[in-house]
Amino acid sequence: MELCLANHSSYPRVGASREQQRLRRAYAQRERGEISPEAFNQVQDSLVAEVIEEQAHAGCELVTDGQIRWYDSISHVAGKLAHVEINGLLRYFDTNFYFRQPVITANVEWREPLVVEEFRYAKRTSVRSVKPVLTGPYTLAIASIRQTPVYGDFSTLVMDLSAVLAREVNALATAGAEVIQVEEPAILQHPQDLPLLQQALTALSEARGSARLALYTYFGDAAPVYEALQELPVQILGFDFTYAPKLPDKIATVGSQKSLGLGLIDGRNTRMETAKDVFPLLEKVLPHVPGEIVYLNPSCGLEYLPRDKAVAKLRLMKELKEAFLQERKG
Amino acid sequence: MSRARLERVGLTLPLLPTSTVGSFPKLDYVLEARAKFARKEMTRKELDALERQATEFWIEQQEEIGLDVLVDGEQYRGDMVAYFADIMDGFEMGGLVRSYGNRYYHKPIIVGKVKRPGPITVTWWKFAQGLTSKPVKGMLTGPYTIMDWSFNDYYPDRKAACFALATEIRKEVESLVEAGAKIVQIDEPALSVRPEELHFALEAMHIVTDGIPAYFIMHICYGAFEFIYPKMLDLPVDNFDLEMSNSGLDLISLFEKDPFTKDLSFGVLDVHSHVIETPTIVRERIEKALQVIQPEALWVDPDCGLKTRAVEEAQGKLRSMVAAVRELRETGISR
Repeated sequence: MELCLANHSSYPRVGASREQQRLRRAYAQRERGEISPEAFNQVQDSLVAEVIEEQAHAGCELVTDGQIRWYDSISHVAGKLAHVEINGLLRYFDTNFYFRQPVITANVEWREPLVVEEFRYAKRTSVRSVKPVLTGPYTLAIASIRQTPVYGDFSTLVMDLSAVLAREVNALATAGAEVIQVEEPAILQHPQDLPLLQQALTALSEARGSARLALYTYFGDAAPVYEALQELPVQILGFDFTYAPKLPDKIATVGSQKSLGLGLIDGRNTRMETAKDVFPLLEKVLPHVPGEIVYLNPSCGLEYLPRDKAVAKLRLMKELKEAFLQERKG
Repeated sequence: MSRARLERVGLTLPLLPTSTVGSFPKLDYVLEARAKFARKEMTRKELDALERQATEFWIEQQEEIGLDVLVDGEQYRGDMVAYFADIMDGFEMGGLVRSYGNRYYHKPIIVGKVKRPGPITVTWWKFAQGLTSKPVKGMLTGPYTIMDWSFNDYYPDRKAACFALATEIRKEVESLVEAGAKIVQIDEPALSVRPEELHFALEAMHIVTDGIPAYFIMHICYGAFEFIYPKMLDLPVDNFDLEMSNSGLDLISLFEKDPFTKDLSFGVLDVHSHVIETPTIVRERIEKALQVIQPEALWVDPDCGLKTRAVEEAQGKLRSMVAAVRELRETGISR
């Protein structure tokens, strides 16, 4: 079995040096009308290339574009749909990060590509395989304000978003994505809606072509709903172990029919994990995961960390993997 | 209960005491001075003098507007957690982390045993209290919020970090009370974010306040109160200062279901809006509060600190608030 080092999703877009703060300056210049859209895009492009290279250099075998162009994980996706307006700030789960809340005013419809063009650029730039990331239909719906009688029924909105996202999944698969990550952190707070999520993911699954769908949850304990998550029409399940102390035992007891993304490295805290923290969990979980690949990744997007700590966490994953394999061999 | 507690600490306040949450807009010359200080173009002493001048301005303003319980205005503080982390031992300042859009902040990292090297806010409190005969609140960030808004490299878990901070914050409370503060406000905006941790946040607050002869206010804002109410009423404080107006007063429905058993500082001004509320709007909001809270238990203030508003907006909003309260006191307060 291969232990594949993967980034999760987001990556810090500024660092300590002046050069690493160029996107921040470009945003300010854009607000003041001092930079053309083309020049602003060039700054974004160069930073995407830089963070992809940084991930690869740190040892990541599956990288992301760092979501460098995203305002946040909700409005970046929802804001591109027809009949969605973007409203004020709201706290993103239990973090100290704020997203802009979508307001749905009529039937949501596809209007333009959501992330496929970003994926194409990242793929061209990267020497490693690139994983595109989409926020899932359920989490998008939960985060939105419904201001239309069309969506008096919440599940109708989830299913309409599912149809729109399925189109994007298909575009990503056609563009060459091997793994497509769909993020559904909100489902852990609303486990009663798992049947709805199952229904919503069916369209995405049908659209995936030869790509593998990875459903990632985080900021919550997946152990109580682990069996239900195993029933979802995806090929990979990604978990945030920092919230789920009983999850390794659960996996060892129940087993897994799917490949797993093991979020054993805390993407929310600067403390560096040790072999003592990570190896027992790997030993417990790995024998129960089928297939050829298991992903070792941070517990969530790395944007909650400063840039120097984020790259240090990726390097740490590589060191831990090498030491773990060495120990097994020995 | 609360009026008796106030009397025990030697305070007699009118019905519907008016106050503010802590911060006022930084005056232009303070902003300029802080930028110069950061660029090492100004000494600490020069900066202090200007921050004191601005504190005098805000104390005068509060007296002139007619507020009952004053604050020092926090002209000398930046971020509410970084201010304490900068001064306390055991922290180092981390790199930049994004809070939204193109906004970033330096998030502190706990790298060793946290320790208060000595009084942190007492000199400022004494200075502000020396300028007025009205009570000035001591203003502290709570241990749960300092823990939640910092990284933790040192303590084994979040609870241990929170308790260690609580012990140090208690020392600051003791210093404030020893200096003469009768009202101490603990800001805990992070408290409602992880309901599953409320139990240890509650224990931490016992560490901070138990046995100390002061009237304690806890400020919480912009959270999911529905997940921590009514359990939060067990927190050992006398008064909860809650953001009400930004959320369309929807907390009132919670209080109808489970009665609010403490004093309530009721946010009647939306601090994120440029619009200056009229006295009539403020009065209507207070009257709604009076449907669920006894008049003796009700305080009136803005939703949160006013530092994000322009000076004139902050002044205008507070004038409306005081006018509405005066009108209610004159015409009689009824439920």
